[in-house]
Amino acid sequence: MTIEEFSFANFIKSVLWLAFWILTVVSLIGIPILFILLFYVEPPEIAGMKITPYLLLTMITNPQVGAPLIRATLESDFFKVAVFPGFGFASIFATLLIFTERKLLAKMQIRVGPHYAGKEALWWIRQFGGFPQLIADLLKLIGKEIIIPASADKIIFLAAPVTMVVASAGLVSLIPVGENWVVADIDVGLLVIFALLGFFPLTALLGSWASNSKYPFIGGLRALHQLVSYEIPLFLSILGVVILAGTLNLTGVVNAQSDIWFLFLLPIGAFIFFITALAELERIPFDIPEAESEIVAGWLTEYSGMAYGLIQLANYVKLYALAAIFVTLFMGGWSGPTIFDSIYIFDSLVFSGEELSSFLWFSIKTFGVAVLMILPRGINPRIRMDILLRTGWAKLIAISFINIFIAVALIYTGVV
Amino acid sequence: MAETGFDTLWLMILFGILASVPALILAKIVAPRRRFVNPVKFLPMECGQVPLGEGKARFMMQYYAYVIMFVVFDVMTIFLYVWGTSLLALPQVVTIPIIVFLAILGAAMGYAMYLSGKKDIW
Repeated sequence: MTIEEFSFANFIKSVLWLAFWILTVVSLIGIPILFILLFYVEPPEIAGMKITPYLLLTMITNPQVGAPLIRATLESDFFKVAVFPGFGFASIFATLLIFTERKLLAKMQIRVGPHYAGKEALWWIRQFGGFPQLIADLLKLIGKEIIIPASADKIIFLAAPVTMVVASAGLVSLIPVGENWVVADIDVGLLVIFALLGFFPLTALLGSWASNSKYPFIGGLRALHQLVSYEIPLFLSILGVVILAGTLNLTGVVNAQSDIWFLFLLPIGAFIFFITALAELERIPFDIPEAESEIVAGWLTEYSGMAYGLIQLANYVKLYALAAIFVTLFMGGWSGPTIFDSIYIFDSLVFSGEELSSFLWFSIKTFGVAVLMILPRGINPRIRMDILLRTGWAKLIAISFINIFIAVALIYTGVV
Repeated sequence: MAETGFDTLWLMILFGILASVPALILAKIVAPRRRFVNPVKFLPMECGQVPLGEGKARFMMQYYAYVIMFVVFDVMTIFLYVWGTSLLALPQVVTIPIIVFLAILGAAMGYAMYLSGKKDIW
Protein backbone atom coordinates (compact mmCIF):
# COMPACT_ATOMS: atom_id res chain seq x y z
CA MET A 1 0.00 0.00 0.00
CA THR A 2 1.42 3.33 -1.00
CA ILE A 3 1.10 6.53 0.92
CA GLU A 4 -1.21 8.75 -1.11
CA GLU A 5 -0.61 12.39 -1.50
CA PHE A 6 -2.62 14.38 1.04
CA SER A 7 -5.56 16.26 -0.38
CA PHE A 8 -8.93 17.31 0.99
CA ALA A 9 -10.72 14.90 -1.35
CA ASN A 10 -8.68 11.98 -0.02
CA PHE A 11 -9.43 13.04 3.53
CA ILE A 12 -13.20 13.12 2.83
CA LYS A 13 -12.93 9.77 1.07
CA SER A 14 -11.19 8.13 4.02
CA VAL A 15 -13.75 9.51 6.48
CA LEU A 16 -16.65 8.26 4.33
CA TRP A 17 -14.96 4.87 3.91
CA LEU A 18 -14.58 4.58 7.70
CA ALA A 19 -18.22 5.57 8.24
CA PHE A 20 -19.34 2.97 5.69
CA TRP A 21 -17.44 0.18 7.45
CA ILE A 22 -18.67 1.21 10.91
CA LEU A 23 -22.27 1.27 9.66
CA THR A 24 -21.88 -2.13 8.03
CA VAL A 25 -20.32 -3.79 11.05
CA VAL A 26 -22.85 -2.28 13.48
CA SER A 27 -25.89 -3.24 11.40
CA LEU A 28 -24.69 -6.76 10.59
CA ILE A 29 -23.21 -7.72 13.97
CA GLY A 30 -24.10 -5.13 16.64
CA ILE A 31 -27.85 -4.89 16.13
CA PRO A 32 -28.49 -8.69 16.04
CA ILE A 33 -26.45 -9.10 19.26
CA LEU A 34 -28.48 -6.30 20.88
CA PHE A 35 -31.73 -8.00 19.88
CA ILE A 36 -30.58 -11.38 21.19
CA LEU A 37 -29.59 -9.76 24.50
CA LEU A 38 -32.91 -7.89 24.78
CA PHE A 39 -34.72 -11.20 24.29
CA TYR A 40 -33.24 -12.49 27.55
CA VAL A 41 -33.48 -9.27 29.63
CA GLU A 42 -36.55 -8.98 31.85
CA PRO A 43 -38.25 -5.62 31.03
CA PRO A 44 -38.59 -3.33 34.08
CA GLU A 45 -42.03 -2.15 35.12
CA ILE A 46 -42.71 1.60 35.50
CA ALA A 47 -46.12 3.03 36.39
CA GLY A 48 -47.86 -0.24 35.55
CA MET A 49 -46.28 -0.49 32.10
CA LYS A 50 -43.73 -3.08 31.04
CA ILE A 51 -40.92 -1.17 29.35
CA THR A 52 -40.20 -3.05 26.13
CA PRO A 53 -37.69 -1.51 23.67
CA TYR A 54 -40.51 -0.35 21.37
CA LEU A 55 -42.38 1.33 24.23
CA LEU A 56 -39.08 2.93 25.35
CA LEU A 57 -38.59 4.46 21.90
CA THR A 58 -42.18 5.76 21.98
CA MET A 59 -41.58 7.23 25.44
CA ILE A 60 -38.44 9.05 24.35
CA THR A 61 -40.13 10.64 21.34
CA ASN A 62 -43.49 11.36 22.98
CA PRO A 63 -43.14 13.23 26.32
CA GLN A 64 -46.78 12.73 27.25
CA VAL A 65 -46.31 8.97 27.40
CA GLY A 66 -42.75 9.11 28.67
CA ALA A 67 -43.21 11.44 31.63
CA PRO A 68 -43.23 8.67 34.32
CA LEU A 69 -39.81 7.67 33.02
CA ILE A 70 -38.24 10.79 34.60
CA ARG A 71 -39.24 9.90 38.17
CA ALA A 72 -38.26 6.27 37.63
CA THR A 73 -34.81 7.41 36.47
CA LEU A 74 -34.43 9.72 39.47
CA GLU A 75 -35.23 6.84 41.84
CA SER A 76 -32.98 4.28 40.17
CA ASP A 77 -29.91 3.08 42.06
CA PHE A 78 -27.47 4.19 39.39
CA PHE A 79 -28.78 7.76 39.33
CA LYS A 80 -28.61 7.93 43.12
CA VAL A 81 -25.05 6.60 43.22
CA ALA A 82 -23.67 8.57 40.29
CA VAL A 83 -25.60 11.82 40.28
CA PHE A 84 -27.91 13.18 42.88
CA PRO A 85 -27.32 12.32 46.50
CA GLY A 86 -24.15 10.53 45.47
CA PHE A 87 -20.90 11.31 43.76
CA GLY A 88 -21.90 14.01 41.25
CA PHE A 89 -23.69 16.16 43.82
CA ALA A 90 -20.83 15.79 46.30
CA SER A 91 -18.23 16.71 43.66
CA ILE A 92 -20.15 19.82 42.60
CA PHE A 93 -20.62 20.81 46.25
CA ALA A 94 -16.89 20.23 46.83
CA THR A 95 -16.03 22.41 43.81
CA LEU A 96 -18.25 25.15 45.17
CA LEU A 97 -16.47 24.83 48.54
CA ILE A 98 -13.04 25.13 46.90
CA PHE A 99 -14.14 28.33 45.17
CA THR A 100 -15.70 29.66 48.38
CA GLU A 101 -12.53 28.92 50.31
CA ARG A 102 -10.29 30.68 47.79
CA LYS A 103 -12.51 33.74 47.56
CA LEU A 104 -13.23 33.92 51.29
CA LEU A 105 -9.59 33.56 52.36
CA ALA A 106 -8.61 36.17 49.77
CA LYS A 107 -11.15 38.57 51.22
CA MET A 108 -9.88 37.86 54.76
CA GLN A 109 -6.29 38.57 53.70
CA ILE A 110 -7.29 41.66 51.68
CA ARG A 111 -6.54 40.02 48.34
CA VAL A 112 -8.83 39.50 45.36
CA GLY A 113 -8.46 35.76 44.81
CA PRO A 114 -9.29 34.07 41.49
CA HIS A 115 -10.59 36.90 39.37
CA TYR A 116 -9.48 36.97 35.74
CA ALA A 117 -10.60 33.57 34.41
CA GLY A 118 -14.00 34.01 32.78
CA LYS A 119 -14.23 37.64 33.79
CA GLU A 120 -15.50 38.69 30.36
CA ALA A 121 -17.83 35.72 29.87
CA LEU A 122 -19.43 35.97 33.32
CA TRP A 123 -19.58 39.75 33.59
CA TRP A 124 -23.17 39.70 34.87
CA ILE A 125 -22.14 37.94 38.08
CA ARG A 126 -19.08 39.87 39.13
CA GLN A 127 -18.55 38.05 42.42
CA PHE A 128 -18.14 34.76 40.55
CA GLY A 129 -15.50 36.27 38.31
CA GLY A 130 -12.87 33.56 38.78
CA PHE A 131 -15.10 30.51 38.82
CA PRO A 132 -13.72 29.03 35.54
CA GLN A 133 -10.30 29.08 37.25
CA LEU A 134 -11.29 25.73 38.83
CA ILE A 135 -11.81 24.19 35.36
CA ALA A 136 -8.44 25.59 34.31
CA ASP A 137 -6.84 24.03 37.40
CA LEU A 138 -8.42 20.66 36.62
CA LEU A 139 -7.13 20.74 33.04
CA LYS A 140 -3.70 21.76 34.31
CA LEU A 141 -3.63 18.82 36.75
CA ILE A 142 -4.63 16.36 34.01
CA GLY A 143 -1.89 17.70 31.78
CA LYS A 144 0.87 17.33 34.37
CA GLU A 145 3.21 14.39 34.66
CA ILE A 146 2.76 12.08 37.64
CA ILE A 147 6.30 11.79 38.98
CA ILE A 148 6.83 8.58 40.93
CA PRO A 149 10.04 8.74 42.96
CA ALA A 150 12.68 6.11 42.30
CA SER A 151 12.46 3.04 44.58
CA ALA A 152 8.94 3.97 45.62
CA ASP A 153 6.32 1.23 46.03
CA LYS A 154 4.44 2.02 42.82
CA ILE A 155 1.19 0.17 43.45
CA ILE A 156 0.59 1.47 46.98
CA PHE A 157 1.77 4.92 45.95
CA LEU A 158 -0.88 5.14 43.23
CA ALA A 159 -3.51 3.27 45.26
CA ALA A 160 -3.49 5.90 48.01
CA PRO A 161 -5.36 8.62 45.98
CA VAL A 162 -7.87 6.03 44.76
CA THR A 163 -8.46 4.83 48.32
CA MET A 164 -9.01 8.42 49.48
CA VAL A 165 -11.65 8.99 46.77
CA VAL A 166 -13.32 5.66 47.50
CA ALA A 167 -13.52 6.28 51.25
CA SER A 168 -14.94 9.78 50.77
CA ALA A 169 -17.49 8.40 48.26
CA GLY A 170 -18.51 5.84 50.87
CA LEU A 171 -18.99 8.64 53.41
CA VAL A 172 -21.18 10.58 50.95
CA SER A 173 -23.36 7.56 50.28
CA LEU A 174 -24.54 7.44 53.92
CA ILE A 175 -25.78 11.03 54.13
CA PRO A 176 -29.53 11.60 53.81
CA VAL A 177 -30.31 14.78 51.83
CA GLY A 178 -34.08 14.32 52.11
CA GLU A 179 -36.65 11.83 53.29
CA ASN A 180 -35.86 8.54 51.46
CA TRP A 181 -33.14 10.39 49.53
CA VAL A 182 -30.06 8.54 50.67
CA VAL A 183 -27.84 6.21 48.68
CA ALA A 184 -27.26 3.59 51.37
CA ASP A 185 -29.83 3.44 54.18
CA ILE A 186 -27.97 1.23 56.67
CA ASP A 187 -29.13 0.41 60.21
CA VAL A 188 -25.59 0.77 61.61
CA GLY A 189 -24.81 3.82 59.48
CA LEU A 190 -22.79 5.62 62.15
CA LEU A 191 -20.51 2.61 62.69
CA VAL A 192 -19.87 2.49 58.92
CA ILE A 193 -19.00 6.18 59.05
CA PHE A 194 -16.46 5.53 61.84
CA ALA A 195 -14.96 2.68 59.82
CA LEU A 196 -14.63 4.87 56.71
CA LEU A 197 -13.19 7.81 58.68
CA GLY A 198 -10.43 5.52 59.92
CA PHE A 199 -9.30 4.96 56.33
CA PHE A 200 -7.95 8.47 55.77
CA PRO A 201 -5.00 8.62 58.23
CA LEU A 202 -4.08 5.01 57.41
CA THR A 203 -4.06 5.88 53.70
CA ALA A 204 -1.85 8.85 54.54
CA LEU A 205 0.55 6.56 56.43
CA LEU A 206 0.63 3.96 53.62
CA GLY A 207 1.10 6.59 50.92
CA SER A 208 3.91 8.22 52.86
CA TRP A 209 5.63 4.89 53.52
CA ALA A 210 5.32 3.94 49.83
CA SER A 211 6.86 7.18 48.57
CA ASN A 212 10.18 6.25 50.25
CA SER A 213 11.12 9.75 51.29
CA LYS A 214 11.76 11.38 54.64
CA TYR A 215 9.40 14.37 54.72
CA PRO A 216 6.34 12.32 53.66
CA PHE A 217 7.17 9.71 56.28
CA ILE A 218 7.27 12.29 59.05
CA GLY A 219 3.91 13.58 57.78
CA GLY A 220 2.41 10.10 57.72
CA LEU A 221 3.49 9.37 61.29
CA ARG A 222 2.03 12.73 62.32
CA ALA A 223 -1.27 11.72 60.64
CA LEU A 224 -1.23 8.54 62.71
CA HIS A 225 -0.63 10.40 65.96
CA GLN A 226 -3.34 12.88 65.05
CA LEU A 227 -5.72 9.94 64.61
CA VAL A 228 -4.73 8.73 68.08
CA SER A 229 -5.57 12.10 69.58
CA TYR A 230 -8.93 12.93 67.98
CA GLU A 231 -10.68 9.65 67.27
CA ILE A 232 -11.85 8.79 70.79
CA PRO A 233 -13.39 12.25 71.47
CA LEU A 234 -15.05 12.05 68.03
CA PHE A 235 -16.70 8.72 68.87
CA LEU A 236 -17.69 9.82 72.38
CA SER A 237 -19.23 13.11 71.19
CA ILE A 238 -21.61 11.22 68.87
CA LEU A 239 -22.54 8.75 71.64
CA GLY A 240 -24.73 11.45 73.25
CA VAL A 241 -26.71 11.81 70.00
CA VAL A 242 -27.09 8.03 69.76
CA ILE A 243 -28.39 7.87 73.34
CA LEU A 244 -31.03 10.55 72.62
CA ALA A 245 -32.04 9.16 69.22
CA GLY A 246 -31.87 5.48 70.20
CA THR A 247 -30.64 4.47 66.76
CA LEU A 248 -27.47 4.35 64.66
CA ASN A 249 -29.35 5.00 61.40
CA LEU A 250 -28.81 8.58 60.15
CA THR A 251 -32.38 8.91 58.83
CA GLY A 252 -33.57 7.79 62.28
CA VAL A 253 -31.36 10.44 63.92
CA VAL A 254 -32.91 13.16 61.72
CA ASN A 255 -36.43 11.94 62.49
CA ALA A 256 -35.64 12.04 66.23
CA GLN A 257 -34.90 15.78 65.90
CA SER A 258 -38.39 16.71 64.68
CA ASP A 259 -39.09 18.62 67.92
CA ILE A 260 -35.76 20.24 68.76
CA TRP A 261 -32.27 20.14 67.25
CA PHE A 262 -29.69 18.17 69.25
CA LEU A 263 -27.44 21.23 68.93
CA PHE A 264 -29.52 22.90 71.67
CA LEU A 265 -29.70 19.78 73.87
CA LEU A 266 -26.05 18.76 73.54
CA PRO A 267 -24.03 21.91 72.79
CA ILE A 268 -20.87 20.36 74.30
CA GLY A 269 -21.14 17.34 72.03
CA ALA A 270 -21.61 19.56 68.98
CA PHE A 271 -18.55 21.61 69.99
CA ILE A 272 -16.35 18.52 70.41
CA PHE A 273 -17.60 17.06 67.13
CA PHE A 274 -16.79 20.31 65.33
CA ILE A 275 -13.25 20.42 66.77
CA THR A 276 -12.55 16.76 66.03
CA ALA A 277 -14.03 17.13 62.52
CA LEU A 278 -11.48 19.88 61.88
CA ALA A 279 -8.76 17.51 63.10
CA GLU A 280 -10.14 14.71 60.91
CA LEU A 281 -10.11 17.02 57.88
CA GLU A 282 -6.47 18.00 58.58
CA ARG A 283 -7.45 21.64 58.29
CA ILE A 284 -5.82 24.54 60.11
CA PRO A 285 -5.34 24.63 63.15
CA PHE A 286 -4.91 20.84 62.93
CA ASP A 287 -3.04 20.53 59.62
CA ILE A 288 -0.07 18.94 61.40
CA PRO A 289 0.39 16.08 58.84
CA GLU A 290 0.53 18.56 55.94
CA ALA A 291 2.29 21.40 57.73
CA GLU A 292 3.58 23.17 54.65
CA SER A 293 5.82 25.60 56.48
CA GLU A 294 7.55 22.84 58.50
CA ILE A 295 7.82 19.65 56.43
CA VAL A 296 7.37 20.81 52.77
CA ALA A 297 3.86 19.38 52.19
CA GLY A 298 3.81 16.60 54.74
CA TRP A 299 2.71 13.26 53.37
CA LEU A 300 1.70 14.88 50.05
CA THR A 301 5.27 15.93 49.22
CA GLU A 302 5.94 13.32 46.52
CA TYR A 303 2.48 13.45 44.96
CA SER A 304 2.13 15.41 41.75
CA GLY A 305 -0.29 15.91 38.88
CA MET A 306 -3.59 14.08 38.92
CA ALA A 307 -2.65 11.91 41.93
CA TYR A 308 -2.41 15.10 44.00
CA GLY A 309 -5.62 16.36 42.36
CA LEU A 310 -7.53 13.24 43.37
CA ILE A 311 -6.33 13.59 46.98
CA GLN A 312 -7.49 17.22 47.04
CA LEU A 313 -10.85 16.23 45.51
CA ALA A 314 -11.24 13.56 48.19
CA ASN A 315 -10.34 16.11 50.88
CA TYR A 316 -13.01 18.56 49.77
CA VAL A 317 -15.62 15.82 49.31
CA LYS A 318 -14.72 14.82 52.88
CA LEU A 319 -15.22 18.44 53.98
CA TYR A 320 -18.71 18.35 52.44
CA ALA A 321 -19.38 14.94 54.02
CA LEU A 322 -18.31 15.96 57.54
CA ALA A 323 -20.29 19.23 57.36
CA ALA A 324 -23.29 17.17 56.21
CA ILE A 325 -22.78 14.68 59.05
CA PHE A 326 -22.66 17.59 61.53
CA VAL A 327 -25.91 18.92 60.05
CA THR A 328 -27.51 15.47 60.19
CA LEU A 329 -26.48 14.75 63.76
CA PHE A 330 -26.95 18.13 65.40
CA MET A 331 -28.94 20.50 63.17
CA GLY A 332 -31.95 18.47 62.08
CA GLY A 333 -30.64 17.35 58.70
CA TRP A 334 -33.03 18.10 55.87
CA SER A 335 -35.94 19.18 58.09
CA GLY A 336 -37.42 22.64 57.50
CA PRO A 337 -40.62 24.33 56.35
CA THR A 338 -41.97 23.45 52.90
CA ILE A 339 -41.72 26.46 50.62
CA PHE A 340 -41.87 24.99 47.11
CA ASP A 341 -44.74 23.61 45.05
CA SER A 342 -44.49 20.15 43.58
CA ILE A 343 -43.22 19.86 40.02
CA TYR A 344 -45.38 17.87 37.61
CA ILE A 345 -44.71 17.11 33.94
CA PHE A 346 -47.88 15.91 32.15
CA ASP A 347 -49.53 14.97 35.48
CA SER A 348 -46.69 12.73 36.61
CA LEU A 349 -44.68 13.67 39.68
CA VAL A 350 -41.03 14.70 39.21
CA PHE A 351 -40.21 16.28 42.59
CA SER A 352 -42.65 16.84 45.45
CA GLY A 353 -42.56 20.17 47.27
CA GLU A 354 -41.29 18.56 50.50
CA GLU A 355 -38.37 17.00 48.67
CA LEU A 356 -37.34 20.21 46.93
CA SER A 357 -37.45 22.27 50.12
CA SER A 358 -35.61 19.54 52.09
CA PHE A 359 -32.80 19.64 49.50
CA LEU A 360 -32.69 23.42 49.86
CA TRP A 361 -32.57 23.38 53.69
CA PHE A 362 -29.96 20.62 53.73
CA SER A 363 -27.76 22.49 51.23
CA ILE A 364 -28.03 25.80 53.09
CA LYS A 365 -27.19 24.26 56.48
CA THR A 366 -24.33 22.18 55.06
CA PHE A 367 -22.87 25.15 53.24
CA GLY A 368 -23.04 27.24 56.42
CA VAL A 369 -21.27 24.59 58.51
CA ALA A 370 -18.65 24.07 55.80
CA VAL A 371 -17.92 27.80 55.71
CA LEU A 372 -17.52 27.70 59.51
CA MET A 373 -15.00 24.88 59.03
CA ILE A 374 -13.15 26.90 56.38
CA LEU A 375 -12.97 30.10 58.46
CA PRO A 376 -10.26 29.03 61.00
CA ARG A 377 -7.80 28.75 58.10
CA GLY A 378 -7.82 32.51 57.79
CA ILE A 379 -7.31 33.31 61.47
CA ASN A 380 -5.57 30.49 63.33
CA PRO A 381 -1.95 29.36 63.60
CA ARG A 382 -1.03 25.67 63.63
CA ILE A 383 -1.25 23.78 66.91
CA ARG A 384 1.72 21.72 68.17
CA MET A 385 1.64 17.91 68.08
CA ASP A 386 2.12 17.28 71.80
CA ILE A 387 -0.42 19.99 72.67
CA LEU A 388 -2.96 18.33 70.36
CA LEU A 389 -2.36 14.94 72.01
CA ARG A 390 -2.58 16.42 75.52
CA THR A 391 -5.76 18.39 74.63
CA GLY A 392 -7.40 15.42 72.96
CA TRP A 393 -6.75 13.02 75.83
CA ALA A 394 -7.03 15.23 78.88
CA LYS A 395 -9.66 17.81 77.96
CA LEU A 396 -11.81 16.61 75.04
CA ILE A 397 -12.37 13.10 76.43
CA ALA A 398 -13.25 14.50 79.86
CA ILE A 399 -15.85 16.94 78.56
CA SER A 400 -17.25 14.37 76.15
CA PHE A 401 -17.98 12.15 79.17
CA ILE A 402 -19.79 15.11 80.72
CA ASN A 403 -21.75 15.33 77.44
CA ILE A 404 -22.76 11.65 77.73
CA PHE A 405 -23.97 12.13 81.31
CA ILE A 406 -26.02 15.17 80.18
CA ALA A 407 -27.64 12.97 77.51
CA VAL A 408 -28.43 10.23 80.07
CA ALA A 409 -29.83 12.83 82.48
CA LEU A 410 -32.02 14.28 79.71
CA ILE A 411 -33.44 10.82 79.03
CA TYR A 412 -34.06 9.97 82.71
CA THR A 413 -35.61 13.30 83.66
CA GLY A 414 -38.01 12.92 80.76
CA VAL A 415 -36.98 16.04 78.83
CA VAL A 416 -36.65 14.10 75.58
CA MET B 1 -34.02 -1.85 54.61
CA ALA B 2 -30.92 -2.99 56.43
CA GLU B 3 -29.73 -5.56 53.89
CA THR B 4 -30.37 -3.46 50.78
CA GLY B 5 -28.32 -0.54 52.09
CA PHE B 6 -25.00 -2.32 51.85
CA ASP B 7 -25.54 -3.14 48.16
CA THR B 8 -25.70 0.53 47.25
CA LEU B 9 -22.72 1.26 49.53
CA TRP B 10 -20.65 -1.25 47.54
CA LEU B 11 -22.01 0.29 44.30
CA MET B 12 -20.87 3.68 45.53
CA ILE B 13 -17.40 2.35 46.38
CA LEU B 14 -17.21 0.75 42.91
CA PHE B 15 -18.23 4.07 41.41
CA GLY B 16 -15.47 5.79 43.39
CA ILE B 17 -12.93 3.44 41.78
CA LEU B 18 -14.50 3.97 38.33
CA ALA B 19 -14.30 7.74 38.81
CA SER B 20 -10.70 7.93 40.03
CA VAL B 21 -8.72 5.26 38.14
CA PRO B 22 -9.60 6.61 34.64
CA ALA B 23 -8.47 10.07 35.80
CA LEU B 24 -5.02 8.65 36.58
CA ILE B 25 -4.92 6.74 33.27
CA LEU B 26 -6.03 9.85 31.36
CA ALA B 27 -3.29 11.86 33.04
CA LYS B 28 -0.79 9.14 32.09
CA ILE B 29 -1.91 9.36 28.42
CA VAL B 30 -2.19 13.14 28.16
CA ALA B 31 0.75 14.23 30.26
CA PRO B 32 4.15 14.82 28.61
CA ARG B 33 6.85 12.26 29.31
CA ARG B 34 10.46 12.68 28.32
CA ARG B 35 12.54 9.57 27.79
CA PHE B 36 15.93 10.92 28.74
CA VAL B 37 15.82 13.03 31.84
CA ASN B 38 18.15 13.79 34.66
CA PRO B 39 17.84 10.96 37.24
CA VAL B 40 17.87 13.60 39.96
CA LYS B 41 14.26 14.29 38.97
CA PHE B 42 13.18 10.96 40.48
CA LEU B 43 15.10 11.31 43.72
CA PRO B 44 13.11 11.90 46.93
CA MET B 45 12.40 15.55 47.69
CA GLU B 46 14.83 16.95 50.23
CA CYS B 47 14.69 20.65 49.43
CA GLY B 48 17.45 20.53 46.81
CA GLN B 49 19.96 18.49 48.80
CA VAL B 50 21.11 15.13 47.47
CA PRO B 51 19.24 12.67 49.74
CA LEU B 52 21.32 10.95 52.38
CA GLY B 53 20.63 7.44 53.66
CA GLU B 54 17.44 5.43 53.63
CA GLY B 55 14.15 7.05 52.66
CA LYS B 56 12.26 4.92 55.16
CA ALA B 57 14.28 6.15 58.10
CA ARG B 58 13.60 4.94 61.63
CA PHE B 59 13.00 7.55 64.24
CA MET B 60 11.28 7.92 67.60
CA MET B 61 8.00 9.85 67.65
CA GLN B 62 8.06 10.23 71.48
CA TYR B 63 4.31 9.65 71.91
CA TYR B 64 4.37 5.89 72.34
CA ALA B 65 2.29 5.98 75.54
CA TYR B 66 -0.68 7.57 73.77
CA VAL B 67 -0.61 4.92 71.03
CA ILE B 68 -0.77 2.13 73.63
CA MET B 69 -3.66 3.89 75.39
CA PHE B 70 -5.41 4.33 72.02
CA VAL B 71 -5.36 0.60 71.32
CA VAL B 72 -7.19 -0.05 74.60
CA PHE B 73 -9.65 2.83 74.81
CA ASP B 74 -10.67 3.00 71.13
CA VAL B 75 -12.18 -0.47 71.40
CA MET B 76 -13.87 0.57 74.66
CA THR B 77 -15.57 3.52 72.94
CA ILE B 78 -17.10 1.33 70.25
CA PHE B 79 -18.40 -1.06 72.92
CA LEU B 80 -20.06 1.89 74.66
CA TYR B 81 -22.26 2.24 71.56
CA VAL B 82 -23.87 -1.11 72.40
CA TRP B 83 -24.92 0.42 75.72
CA GLY B 84 -25.91 3.73 74.09
CA THR B 85 -28.28 2.23 71.52
CA SER B 86 -30.03 -0.04 74.03
CA LEU B 87 -30.29 2.53 76.85
CA LEU B 88 -34.01 3.13 76.26
CA ALA B 89 -34.76 -0.60 76.51
CA LEU B 90 -32.82 -1.11 79.76
CA PRO B 91 -34.16 -0.42 83.29
CA GLN B 92 -32.70 2.68 84.95
CA VAL B 93 -30.86 0.68 87.64
CA VAL B 94 -28.53 -0.76 85.02
CA THR B 95 -26.95 2.65 84.49
CA ILE B 96 -25.25 2.52 87.94
CA PRO B 97 -22.92 -0.43 87.11
CA ILE B 98 -22.12 1.26 83.79
CA ILE B 99 -21.10 4.42 85.65
CA VAL B 100 -18.95 2.36 88.04
CA PHE B 101 -17.36 0.65 85.00
CA LEU B 102 -16.69 4.05 83.41
CA ALA B 103 -15.19 5.29 86.70
CA ILE B 104 -12.77 2.33 86.78
CA LEU B 105 -11.79 2.98 83.16
CA GLY B 106 -11.45 6.69 83.87
CA ALA B 107 -9.16 6.02 86.81
CA ALA B 108 -7.04 3.70 84.64
CA MET B 109 -6.90 6.35 81.93
CA GLY B 110 -5.89 8.99 84.44
CA TYR B 111 -3.05 6.81 85.76
CA ALA B 112 -1.89 6.11 82.19
CA MET B 113 -1.97 9.85 81.46
CA TYR B 114 0.10 10.46 84.60
CA LEU B 115 2.66 7.85 83.47
CA SER B 116 2.75 9.25 79.92
CA GLY B 117 3.79 12.60 81.34
CA LYS B 118 6.89 11.12 83.02
CA LYS B 119 9.67 11.56 80.50
CA ASP B 120 12.36 9.38 82.08
CA ILE B 121 10.48 6.05 81.83
CA TRP B 122 9.93 6.27 78.06
